[in-house]
Amino acid sequence: MTCESAKSLTGAYADDELDAGVDAQVREHLATCGSCAEAHAQLLALRAGIRERAPYYRAPAYLQDRVRAAVRQAGRQAAEPWRWIAIAAAILLAVSAAWNAVELRSPNFLRDQFAQSVLSSHVRSLLGTHLLDVPSSDQHTVKPWFNGKLDFSPDVRDLAPQGFPLIGGRIDYVGDRTVAALVYQRRQHVINLFTWPSPAPDRPTELTRNGYHIVHWSSGGMAWWAVSDLNAGELRRFVNLYKQ
Amino acid sequence: MDSPPKLALFEQCIVPHLDAAYNLARWLTRNEHDAEDVVQEAYLRAYRFFDSFNGGDGKAWLLAVVRNTCLTWRRREQGIAKVPFDESTHSPGEAVATAETKLVEQAQWGNVRDCLESLPLEFREVLVMRELEEMPYRDIAAVTSLPIGTVMSRLSRARRRLQDCVTGRMKGVTQ
Repeated sequence: MTCESAKSLTGAYADDELDAGVDAQVREHLATCGSCAEAHAQLLALRAGIRERAPYYRAPAYLQDRVRAAVRQAGRQAAEPWRWIAIAAAILLAVSAAWNAVELRSPNFLRDQFAQSVLSSHVRSLLGTHLLDVPSSDQHTVKPWFNGKLDFSPDVRDLAPQGFPLIGGRIDYVGDRTVAALVYQRRQHVINLFTWPSPAPDRPTELTRNGYHIVHWSSGGMAWWAVSDLNAGELRRFVNLYKQ
Repeated sequence: MDSPPKLALFEQCIVPHLDAAYNLARWLTRNEHDAEDVVQEAYLRAYRFFDSFNGGDGKAWLLAVVRNTCLTWRRREQGIAKVPFDESTHSPGEAVATAETKLVEQAQWGNVRDCLESLPLEFREVLVMRELEEMPYRDIAAVTSLPIGTVMSRLSRARRRLQDCVTGRMKGVTQ
């Protein structure tokens, strides 16, 4: 091996990066060539000097914490799209479940709402002085009285012969609309019969709330709600008479 | 979804090489604060691109990311700096040498650190990886995206320049 090629290889030789064959050739050359041996020695000295004097900077302990925290944070953020999809899916599921529940429950739910509302109106009518806007036992007085006050004309019947005399009517509110309240009497018991247009007929219902009986039915595109503290049997009879 | 296993693998393969990452960043940025920032950024990058890590040597893979982050950092620094970064202005010149004449008694290799730090980045990085990290040429080639032959010749030139610096300084000191 020539000096020139040996010198060009001293670095790789010192770094132990040569094939075994070439490595042996260089070693052989170094053993016999003073100037190449000196170059090699200088290289080793330089290496020793670097390793001894040039610091190997170790990461401060807090940097490790910092890096770990940052990476974990990134990991969470990377998981985020999935998390958002999961959240979105969960919301969708919850909404659709709620929607289904509302859908399934909605007739009952609305019925309950109306029942509560008509009951409140009934109780309110008895508590105050506002039981009657038009005190009259005459259906032909009561029915026209609603004209111009409502956007519908309630069917007013006289059931006095059957023991349920009409005592009058008034305008009331049920839900968010004005309704007709027809007031009948059975002995000392007042019956409020609420009615308003309801294009979608629903199932007849009987409820008992706070000692009051409530009977609901639909007919002729109208919703009817009868509320009274009258016993359930007599109220039902009133309703049946009204339906005829 | 696959994040926890990814994170676990990352912590197992990559996080242990924090010292190597910091050491390289510290030598390339020549500043501990910048090195810390670079390392953190490099780790985040590494995590983002961890899918491209095909096993093998995590250290070389990480150092490649650290190196790239350093280069990006350097470009950014140079963009911000009013005076463009000039390696020569950061080279230890006469003033430094004069200041260090007080340290004549210091051992002859006392200026190795300064000399290494003053080398252009392309020489500095191969020397740090070779002499301080004791990495084989193959890994240095992987980190720097250079052919092994180029790594070898660059190391050779880097050593010569370092040697010149050290001996030159010694001359200065002993004059």
